[in-house]
Amino acid sequence: MVVTLNKQIILKIILLTIVIGASSCSSVRVTNESVVEEGVRGVTISKKAPETQAILANATVYFEYDSSRLTSKSIQTLKGLISVLENNRNLDIVLEGHADERGTREYNLALGQRRAESVAAYLLSNGVSRSQLKTISYGEERPAALGSNNASWAKNRRVEIK
Amino acid sequence: MTKSFISICIFFSIFSSAELLLEITQGSDNPINLGIYEISNQEKEHSLIKNIIQNDLIRTGEIKFIEGIDIVPLPENEEEFNYSGWKILGLDYVVIPSIKNPDKNSIEYRYRVFDVSRKREVRSSTVFGLSSNLRQVSHYASDGIYEAITGIEGVASTKLLYVNEISLKNEKSYRLMVSDVDGYNERTLLNSPEPIISPAWSPKGDKVAYVSFETGIANVYIQDLATGDRESILEQNTQISSPAWSPDGKYLSLTLYQDGNAEIYLLRLRDKTLTRLTNHYSIDTEAIWSPRGNKILFTSGRSGSPQLYEISLRGLRSKPKRITFEGTYNAKGLYLPDANGNIFVHRAKSGSFHIALKYKRENFIRILTEARLDESPSVAPNGNMVVYAISDDNKAKLAILSLNGARFVLPSSQGVVREPAWSGFVR
Repeated sequence: MVVTLNKQIILKIILLTIVIGASSCSSVRVTNESVVEEGVRGVTISKKAPETQAILANATVYFEYDSSRLTSKSIQTLKGLISVLENNRNLDIVLEGHADERGTREYNLALGQRRAESVAAYLLSNGVSRSQLKTISYGEERPAALGSNNASWAKNRRVEIK
Repeated sequence: MTKSFISICIFFSIFSSAELLLEITQGSDNPINLGIYEISNQEKEHSLIKNIIQNDLIRTGEIKFIEGIDIVPLPENEEEFNYSGWKILGLDYVVIPSIKNPDKNSIEYRYRVFDVSRKREVRSSTVFGLSSNLRQVSHYASDGIYEAITGIEGVASTKLLYVNEISLKNEKSYRLMVSDVDGYNERTLLNSPEPIISPAWSPKGDKVAYVSFETGIANVYIQDLATGDRESILEQNTQISSPAWSPDGKYLSLTLYQDGNAEIYLLRLRDKTLTRLTNHYSIDTEAIWSPRGNKILFTSGRSGSPQLYEISLRGLRSKPKRITFEGTYNAKGLYLPDANGNIFVHRAKSGSFHIALKYKRENFIRILTEARLDESPSVAPNGNMVVYAISDDNKAKLAILSLNGARFVLPSSQGVVREPAWSGFVR
């Protein structure tokens, strides 16, 4: 494969050289140029103090690879959450979607969002008010477990309820 | 010749070790032989420049250096170059340099390129620069020499943008960095405690766009390189990501999540008007503009797995056309600069993720890399090289491959390096 490419490039080079050779028969290409070096100024963002959160039994639900479908185990977890939310109508929660490291970062950001929306849809269909929910995604940027293996990946495909 | 060209390691031990190093893992089977003359009265200054030029050209994977060409003396008379002497040494091209220092702070580097087989001078150029910035002067000369030899514009003077993640104890920090393509001249554009992803260059190379999670939610920012001025491009309470500039610099394509799902929009920067491009219940993201700006390539899950689709910007109701069919994961596509093909991330049957290339005229894909989790390809503006991230067990580093078979790794000395973006031409 690489060899095929190599031939193509070399052929391209030969062709281009011939074109240049023919078009500029006895003339030397003469150029003058000045180096432009742009200055660069950096920016630093300082860490914000962690916000105090409403105390709620933090729960996490897990997903299959490249899927945002709720498993029966996830539904069990969410049923417990529904009663808490119904009894505390002024409690707001954030559904934070995550993905494992496989695949591209932007696709995983979108996948994490789908997982969060999937949890939101289940809660809404069970009487939770939309105004109590906020969905966000961190994609693969905040893994719960490090390591490139099935066990870590399974822990990272999740929605954290905060 | 082939064997000797493989596994060459270059150590820039005299330079800062905090910057990226370069390691060549593979070279072309059939390189062009080039020699550069010394400058007898300015050996010290020139050896630095010569070293940088040689490394730039070796990195293309197409050029090999012949040492000791000074054995063929340069003639007193301009008309009597010893082409047959050069031919005996196996040289295809010869560079004769000279240096002038018009004042203490400036330098004029002149280089003349000779084609040995055609027995003629093919280029005579002078690069004007500052003595404090010899690396840039050298990169400009490399690009001119490469162009004189191959007819293709060189990319040694272009830049890389990338994300560097550093873990200190339990604290993570994320830096958006810019460097020369050889990893030197590394500078920090943004230093944040929250993740940064998807950096992108403006067509002129004076600005960058990126996604930052600094407010706790993904948002897109544009930052001016020289001034450090930055702005969030849209204030929304839902996340925004995946910025890409149109070739004319007037639009930014974005992924917005305002209905909960990833959809692609075009933002006109002049007045911040949004035009929706996709409308599907599956994921649509990673939009990128064709070189002429008349098409958008994007990743969509609408077939049940991530695949690349192309949509024309001409005509109001043009339908996305699927362009990848091999395998169940093809994402983060980009165009070759001549639009003759696309490069993207492809998942193999083994489950590994590789960088792949598909030429328009071919109905099969070419796998270009072989690590386990390769991602984030970005193509050089001359179309000859691709930079990408090798990410495995949280040890991400950047690698550059040339489409003719050369491969280099740019390891970072601190933390992980990923999400590279190759600038356009800067010369």
